[in-house]
Amino acid sequence: MGSSTSHLSKELLTEYQELTFLTKQEILLAHKRFSDLLPQESRNVEDSLRVRVSTEQILTLPELKANPFRERICRVFSTAPERDSLSFEDFLDLFSVFSDAATPEIKSHYAFRIFDFDDDGTLNKEDLKQLVNCLTGEGQDTQLSTSEMKQLIENILEESDIDRDGTINLSEFQHVISRSPDFTSSFKIVL
Amino acid sequence: MTAFYRNQEYEQESDYPDFTNSRVNLDSLNSPDYPYSRNNSNNLKFKDNAKYSSTHNYPNCPDALNSPDYPGAEDYLDNLGFRNHQEYPGSHTNTTFSRSQRTPDYPGPRNSSHHSRSKHSLDSFSFVMIPDYPGAKDYQDSREDPDDPDSGSNAYRSSSKNYPHHPGSLGIPDHMGTKDYLGSRNRNNQNYPGSLGIPNYQGAEDNLGTPDNWGSAYKQNSQNNHDYSYSENPEMGNKGHHSGLFHRTLGSPGRGNRDYPESFQMTSRQPTSLYSMHPVPDRDGEEKLIASLINLPTRDRNKIIRNQPLTMQEKRKIKKKVNMEKQKSANQSIQLNYCTQCLTATALHYRHFKSVTSEFFQSLDVWQRTLKIIGSKFGTSVLSYFSFLTWLLKFNIFSFIVNFSFIIIPQLTDPKPNNLSFTGLELLTGAGSFQQTVLYYGFYTNSTIKHKGSNTSYNMQLAYIFTIGLYLVICFFSLLYSMACSFRNNFINPHVYSRGTAKLVFSWDFTITREKAVKLKQRNLTTELKENLSEIRHENVITPLKQRLSRFCIHLAAWIVSTGVAIACCAAVYFLAFNNMKFLREHKNQAATLLLPFLVCCFNLFVPLFYSSFGLVEKFEIPRHQVLVIIIRNIFLKISIIGILCYYWLNSIAVSHEECWETLIGQDIYRLLMMNFLFTLFDSIFGEFLRRIIGTKLIKSLGVPEFDIARNVLELIYTQTLLWIGIFFAPLLPFIHMITLFIMLNVKRISLMMNCLPPSKVWRASQMMTLFIFLLFFPSFTGVLCVLAITVWRLKPSAQCGPFQGLPSIIHAIYGWIEILSNRPSYLWVVWIYRNLIGSVHFFFILTLIVVIITYLYWQIIEGRKIMIKLLHEQIINEGKDKMFLVEKLLKLQESQKKTNTFPLAQERREQEVSLNNGKSPGQKIRRHGF
Repeated sequence: MGSSTSHLSKELLTEYQELTFLTKQEILLAHKRFSDLLPQESRNVEDSLRVRVSTEQILTLPELKANPFRERICRVFSTAPERDSLSFEDFLDLFSVFSDAATPEIKSHYAFRIFDFDDDGTLNKEDLKQLVNCLTGEGQDTQLSTSEMKQLIENILEESDIDRDGTINLSEFQHVISRSPDFTSSFKIVL
Repeated sequence: MTAFYRNQEYEQESDYPDFTNSRVNLDSLNSPDYPYSRNNSNNLKFKDNAKYSSTHNYPNCPDALNSPDYPGAEDYLDNLGFRNHQEYPGSHTNTTFSRSQRTPDYPGPRNSSHHSRSKHSLDSFSFVMIPDYPGAKDYQDSREDPDDPDSGSNAYRSSSKNYPHHPGSLGIPDHMGTKDYLGSRNRNNQNYPGSLGIPNYQGAEDNLGTPDNWGSAYKQNSQNNHDYSYSENPEMGNKGHHSGLFHRTLGSPGRGNRDYPESFQMTSRQPTSLYSMHPVPDRDGEEKLIASLINLPTRDRNKIIRNQPLTMQEKRKIKKKVNMEKQKSANQSIQLNYCTQCLTATALHYRHFKSVTSEFFQSLDVWQRTLKIIGSKFGTSVLSYFSFLTWLLKFNIFSFIVNFSFIIIPQLTDPKPNNLSFTGLELLTGAGSFQQTVLYYGFYTNSTIKHKGSNTSYNMQLAYIFTIGLYLVICFFSLLYSMACSFRNNFINPHVYSRGTAKLVFSWDFTITREKAVKLKQRNLTTELKENLSEIRHENVITPLKQRLSRFCIHLAAWIVSTGVAIACCAAVYFLAFNNMKFLREHKNQAATLLLPFLVCCFNLFVPLFYSSFGLVEKFEIPRHQVLVIIIRNIFLKISIIGILCYYWLNSIAVSHEECWETLIGQDIYRLLMMNFLFTLFDSIFGEFLRRIIGTKLIKSLGVPEFDIARNVLELIYTQTLLWIGIFFAPLLPFIHMITLFIMLNVKRISLMMNCLPPSKVWRASQMMTLFIFLLFFPSFTGVLCVLAITVWRLKPSAQCGPFQGLPSIIHAIYGWIEILSNRPSYLWVVWIYRNLIGSVHFFFILTLIVVIITYLYWQIIEGRKIMIKLLHEQIINEGKDKMFLVEKLLKLQESQKKTNTFPLAQERREQEVSLNNGKSPGQKIRRHGF
């Protein structure tokens, strides 16, 4: 990375610090990591702030490579109209939410959106099915049978669907999450 | 909502043969057999009633008239619908609905009285001005002006105005009836921020209500329904605007679109813009946010903005707007005076300084990298052990710094000769030449150290007792604080609903980033989920008595054996310890002193292994119980061994008239710590390594060992307890412990990476951490306090060595100091504080009394909250049921409308009239309650 050019201006840094949960070092590190994804010729500050990086490239990051929710994460944080690329600010948003300092509320909000596969604002049975499939992996030996899946989803709904409408909405989700304090420590990606 | 109402009608139409009868009832609300209208007739202003009261339902009439955002429709329809059900016995056949009526205090009339009262005071004059309100023509006009942004926000505000009339927590049930049926849940949450604490989601949801959005939906809608009654559309709009997603999806079938699939497509596409990705965030929500932000200090403002689930650009925009508003208001306001300017400048500097120092400390955090690697491979559970280890390490660094600066450095300035030679064995035994160093209590002087040349003096006695005392107080509060924090996080909810399937599913460990580790985690999760499912399946099957009896017997036997073993270990330690003194006198060899610590460490290493082998026979219904039982047995063993040792130290060594008994105890603890450290090294290098070799090469079925978090954490707690006891007798002990912990961290890490697998069971890390911190506090730290209190208050310090030589007990150092101070008039306040607060029984008695009273009050508050939570939970369930009911109704309605769409237009007209006629009636009813 062009060492002479890879400095963000001080004002920008303070602004990022104010708007995200990241510290100065983390922002600089994120910028470095983001610049590494860019092609050689656009690795200066102006370009790195303007250019978008496609999801495929973002997913080559070791932090996201193996994550079963990687596509969803990129999709949720992308501001591009097609939701297929991330700008540097999106990238910062992503790591801000997954940082240590982020509050449980914002973490659970984004977790909900990551798990909401069809983006309809509630977790319905189909979302839950996809979610469980992500958790168990694609392998033949690990996948649950249809009846198991059905029962599992019923159990999940029974536990978390407080108003019994067949779907889990954000507040219900956050309610469940609030009772599982491990969530905050596990919903974390360190750069 | 008309849709809903009409639905009722259709219901009656299809369900009851006497449809005409009900029609009559609906139309003629003034008929004498109708209870409310009978009351109405007593009203003097009866003539005006029709117009006036109907406007009551439409809170902001002037706007609402021309706009699709027709807020009053909510009240209007709800009242109507429910009244219908309440008063017509025929509709009671509907069970789902009558359930909602049974809700504790059904607010129908009360609610409406609130409305009318508030509106009356707000703009009742304008209401009277409007003639012919219910005319159908106006509705047609309203269609021409479908997106009036003002009315939109206006409607929102005016409808939320009613909420402040329901203050107080127990007033909430008022909402549960009519208003909330169409699920204005968002608003509910907004007005009761304490209830569920949803950040700003509804703001994003309200996106849908933005004019553009709605406009298009409206157009589409009106295109689809050319021949449909207009009165419906505005109300639909209202619904879409007020409620979130749910109602939008509801709205689409309710619109009676003939192209059904299209309408669904629309609803499924829209939600993508539902979240913050929408280019224009909801104006209303944003304005509110900005307005609330302006009056906050910069720091809180940043915090709130940061906490919005928005993209960076939106956050930046909000910040800019807030700053602009702020500037505007700042220009108008009076100039800040000098003092406040000064204060803000200081605050700014302080903040800057804080951020710089925190960055500095962060850059010092050398373990960040290590922890990340461990987390990426083993997940949060193992990570929690290592973070506990690093926490202890930092804690010991702190203790070392405290002791070093206040006790050791002053002593080093006053050196004493050390004429003992160093052999190397001292490292293990702590005796020999170490005896004459700052490591032990005996080396410290009781005199006041005076600096040559200057006049400063340093009283070693006081320094010793105050440093240790303050250190223990700091420990106490930091432990208490972290314990309280984790308790609060882990026991938020008084209800235990579940076995945690949902938690299992929603808490994927994002820290794991290695491909292999992810695969492993997925496999473990699958087995866990399957086990969970099979448990649920077998839950209802009651195990036969014989099996239960045998299981109980096994548990009993296991407990008896484990307690027996623990007692036997304690007895062995006791006899060895008491015979040890004679033994040591006979053998002057240093190595002989290692016998006792060796034995204790053997017990500590092998007995827990023996305990965990019980798991082969002892089967628990709930796997978590197994971990808990093992922890309880182990902690019992370890604490009782330490207890026996303390008894031996305080009752045997301390009264044995040895030359310097404090140093002897310090040496014992040093040896125990060292031996324990060696055993841990041995265990992780050979134990885990050999186990892996056996598991992978010889007996394949055993496999690679799992990292046993519980055992390792208990080991840490045990050593920390020893250290706390030892800190009085050997002030340099934290330094030794610091080094051993550092080595242990690295050895454990390497051994973990090479030999171990992450635990296959889902380990509830933070819950376990709560337990561990509690254990560290309760038997361990409080026990240490007891031991040290006995030492300080009861025991006679040795006569020839140490800072307290010659005193009857250590606390007499303080008494003497107070005595001296009371002769100096400038220090009388210290004496006063000591006599009246610290040394006074009465003060502590009163303090305890106050604390007990406060605790009792808090306890009562908690009890009240529990009831409250229960009520709210029931309410949510009821609401959900009603929501489901409405969905069903709307779907039914939609089906029936498909049929009726073929009906002639006249039919529609008639229905419209019916609905309008009914529009008057709830107003009359409200009127009655209003006055």
